[in-house]
Formats: sequence, structure tokens, C-alpha cells
Amino acid sequence: MTRQPNAVDFWRGFALITIFIDHVPGLIYSRYTLVNVSISDAADLFVFLAGWSLRLMADGGGRAMATHNVMLRLLARALELYAAQVLITMLAIAMLAATAIELSNPLLLEWHNAAAVFNDPVPTHIGLAVLTHQLGYFDILPLYVVLMLMAPLFALIDRTVPKLLLPLSLGFYLIVLAFRLTLPTWPVSGTWFFNPLAWQILFVLGFAMAKEDAGIGVWVRRHIVPIRWAALPIVILGIGVVRFGWWPDPTHMPNPKLFFIADKTYVTPIRLIQFLALAAVFSLAFRYIRRAAELPFVGPPVNGVIGMFAMLGRNSLYVFCVGSLLSLSAQILRYYLRGTVGIDTAVVILGIIIMAFTAWLAESRQRSAPAKPASPAPSA
Amino acid sequence: MDVNAARAQSPPAPAESTSPITKACQPGSVALSDQSPLPNVARALATRKKLRILAFGAAPGRVTARGGGYTALIQRMLTSALKGTKVTIVNRGVSGELAADAAIRMKTQVALEEPDLVLWQVGTNDALAFVPSDEFALTIKDQIDWLKAHQVDVVLVGLQFARQMQRDAHYIDVRETLRRVVAQENVIVIRFFEAMQIINRVEAGDTALVPDEIERSEAGYNCLAQYVARAITLGVFAKNMPKRPQPANLGTPSRP
Repeated sequence: MTRQPNAVDFWRGFALITIFIDHVPGLIYSRYTLVNVSISDAADLFVFLAGWSLRLMADGGGRAMATHNVMLRLLARALELYAAQVLITMLAIAMLAATAIELSNPLLLEWHNAAAVFNDPVPTHIGLAVLTHQLGYFDILPLYVVLMLMAPLFALIDRTVPKLLLPLSLGFYLIVLAFRLTLPTWPVSGTWFFNPLAWQILFVLGFAMAKEDAGIGVWVRRHIVPIRWAALPIVILGIGVVRFGWWPDPTHMPNPKLFFIADKTYVTPIRLIQFLALAAVFSLAFRYIRRAAELPFVGPPVNGVIGMFAMLGRNSLYVFCVGSLLSLSAQILRYYLRGTVGIDTAVVILGIIIMAFTAWLAESRQRSAPAKPASPAPSA
Repeated sequence: MDVNAARAQSPPAPAESTSPITKACQPGSVALSDQSPLPNVARALATRKKLRILAFGAAPGRVTARGGGYTALIQRMLTSALKGTKVTIVNRGVSGELAADAAIRMKTQVALEEPDLVLWQVGTNDALAFVPSDEFALTIKDQIDWLKAHQVDVVLVGLQFARQMQRDAHYIDVRETLRRVVAQENVIVIRFFEAMQIINRVEAGDTALVPDEIERSEAGYNCLAQYVARAITLGVFAKNMPKRPQPANLGTPSRP
């Protein structure tokens, strides 16, 4: 039995479609996604909601599960994510290789940071396995893997000393910014595009705010109306910064600079605050979208969109994996057919249809699974 | 003038071998850009005996057979050429990134890394993604102007070479756009495509993609490292060098 559409699943579906569009370089529709009106983007939403979902996994069943079982469950999830990352990476490499051969164009082998895979395969395959070498646009799952590897620790702290979770996470985040701590890539020199040491703050914030009976989640829910009013000018300012280029000159910022500039790798405070403000303002949106689904004429299509987005969100791992490969396919197709508005439109429509089909397929497998037999009665 | 004081103010003289171009890469060197001065690099060498380079674009990510990467090659060559200078190259390239996105990140990285020079391979991804040439031109011009205003020199590396792209209209258009912008802005650009085009003519061989194209591509990056190192060392001493005559229009070669 699939759960009814809710705000978390809806927005996760929205994030998945946005990521699919944003991951096709040059796609005309990428001019109309969140990143064009916001300092933060779908990646921030995705990680925040991942943290929110962590609460459901950690506290499922009213916290009846023993702590060590919760930790094992989270580690199992990390392994699942890792397997997904390895699978889609190998498929992406194969797609690039096949396209380069078919079109006799070696430049395509350099797309998505894949050049090292072909030019120096020995160390690079080690890097792929240990996630120190990541293909371009295939670097969100490695972040998610590391966050899920940290998740047992978060769950443990939350179960034992819950009031320390957010302060510890925040303190570590500030140290990471102050000293620019990050994870290196290898064998190609560089750093992770998404720094898990910093992004853990957004993950923990989602985890903490999802808690309805204690902590910051209670405080936010109790004061959500004034929070939204305070957030609104931040959201408007964010639109102005992005649309009119009101970015402050980062070279003029005092040290430590990461505290004062907008940077995606470190999900710096400017970006973090703007995202939280956006989340606060739009936390109201789903309620109105659902009301719109009850109106005549617009109701059915709105209901359809709600249902589809929620279905994508419920099956986010499958949809994300397929979406990543679809983005690469779209990039190849645009190159082959010389990207036009028509091609871009077809690519987006087809991509969303395939992502929706993937989610439907995942759920149909669950719907058609035979019911578990009743447990035998205990012997007298 | 006190000779020792004058020497202390000048950048270190290049070593005898000033990043020599190897025989395999010599043919391509005729297609390289006119030399332009690198005043911020010269000042850094004179005052701090240190050179900090921020590398952007796909090329920094390449790994050579010897390991270490294309930028490690440049670092070795520059260290050898600029004796007594500590050369650091920071890679912040994101493979597949368009120029507009790289430009936004570059400003943050310039603020964080405080380089004397930005080495930016640009254009290939924009050409393959069919970014309009006028948008591309504006991005490059704005970014060069921003770097100059922040006293950071820039060396651009132009589009990568692939035999198939010699007749691609949009690819040629983006190449020409880049050439036009850098001429207006008086910055160094390594005309990678043209250099490799010449080398490939010299080494005309079979048309198989694997392994010849990949090997040539790898060798191309070795040559590129040499061209970049040479351009930087010459730019340190360039001041008001007269413009070299433009190379003859390479045009579109006949099919091998």
C-alpha cells in the first residue's frame, strides 16, 4: 500500500526533476529552474529532505527499534546507495565510450571527468571504487553515501544526548569553514565538489526539524508564521542577488572568507540561510497546491502533478539513478542532434515520462508482491 | 643604479632551457598565441619568489601516464624554468562545466586561493553544448575584465582538438569567438586546437578511435603543458613585446 502524497515526497519529486534538467549542460529549460531565482538549488533541497527521511528511518515504529538495529539499518542503506553509485557510474562510462566510438569523437571521453578512466584506468578504477574519483554530475550520490555512513552516529547521538546533535553538527561545520577542511579527490588532484564535512549540517538540520515532539522541530512549528515573515525578505533578496547579479565581491570579504561568500561546495552560511528561508516560505505552498487540486478545470491536472511528483519522491533512489543516466543521454542526444528548442523540449518531456515510469514500475513491483503468510500459532 | 638592488627587483631570469618545446610538439608551436605580458606574475616573482596558479577547466583533471596530471607537468616545467621560485598550482576544474558556471565559481576560488594567475581551459564544453557564441563571448570578456580588475593575470587554453570537429560549424564559431575576444582583451591564449591540428597533419595516420585517438589526445596534453609553461615564462618578461605576425589561415584540411 503506497502512502498518500505528502509534502516531503512532493518536493523530493520536484527536486529530482529539477536535478535532471540542471544536469544537462546548455539545456534551454535549465534557465527556468530554481537555481535561476535562488542562491541554493535542488541539491540543497534533496539533502535536507534526505535528512528529514532519515528521521522516518531512525524513528520508524515509534522508536521501538533498538539503537544498534537502527545503526545497522542505516549502514545497510549506505551500502545500497554505494551499490547504486557504482552501477550508474559504470553505465555512464559505458555510454560515453560507446558514444565516442560511434561518433568518432574522443572529446566525449572527457565529459563528466571521465578522461582519467580511459587514460589512466588502473588508479582511476580504485578511485571510482572508493569514491575519490567521481564523474561530473554523478557526485551527489557519493555525498549521500558519506552522509549515510555518518547517519548511525547522528542516530546514536539523537537517541542518547539529543540536545547535543545540532550543536555538535554546527560546531563541526564552523570548524570546516574556518579551516577549509575537505575531502580530496584521487587520482585526479582536486577536492570533492560536494564537501560532506560541510553538507552534513543540512542533513542534520533536516533530521532535527523532522522531529515533531522535541527539539528545534517543535520550536520551528510553533513559530512558523513569524519565521515565514522573517524569511520572505531573505527569499526576495536571494532572487535579486541571482537575477541582477547583486553578489558581493568575494575578494573583499574578510577572513575566514567562507563565512561571508556563497559557495556550493561548502554550503556556506549565505546559501544555508537562504535555503532555510526558502523552505520556510514554501512550507506553505503544498497546502495551497492541494487546495488547487480541488478546483474545477485545473483540479485534475494539478492532482495529476501532485500524484506524479509524490510518486517520484517515494521512489527517489531509483528515480535519481535513472534521472542521472537520462541527463547524460540527453546531453549526448543534444550533441548528436545539435540542441534546438524542439530537441530540448522533447528531451525534457521524454525524460520526465521515463522517470515517472521508473517510479511506477518500482511501486508496481511492491503492489504485486504476494502478501506474507500469517505466522503459525505458538505451540501449547 | 645599484646592480644588486636592480636584480632584487627583477623577476628571476629563466633557466637556460626555458621550458624547451620537445621535437614532437615543435610543429604545433607555430600556431600559438601572440605573447602578452603577465605583470602580476612578474610582480609576484620579484617580490615573493612565489607563483600561485589557479587552474580551471577540463584539462587540469587529466592524468598522464606518469601520474600527477597535466598541471603537475606544468608545475615541474615552471619550477625548472624559474629557478628559486616556489610554484603552486591549485586545481579547481570541474569537468564538463560551462564557461558561465566556471566564471561564477572562479570568483569564489580567486578569493579563497589568492592566485597570481588563472589558467583556464575554456570553450570545448560550451561548443559541444551549443551555447550561443555571443553569450560565450560576453562571459569570457566579463571574466577577463574581472580578473584584470582584481590584479590576476590570465592564460586561456582554447578548444580541444578532435578530427571530427574540424568541420563543425558551431565549434569553429566558438573558436573564432574566443580568438576575437582574447585579441581585444590582449591576453594569452594557447591555441590548442590549431596546434594539435598541425601535429596531427604531421603524424597523419589511421582513423581508428581507439587507441590512436586517445594516445594522440594524451600526447596532446603533454604538448599543451609545454606550451603553457613556455607562454608563462615568456609572459613574465614580455612587457611591451611587438605583436608577432598572425599565422597563415589554417583553413579546413582535406580529409587524410
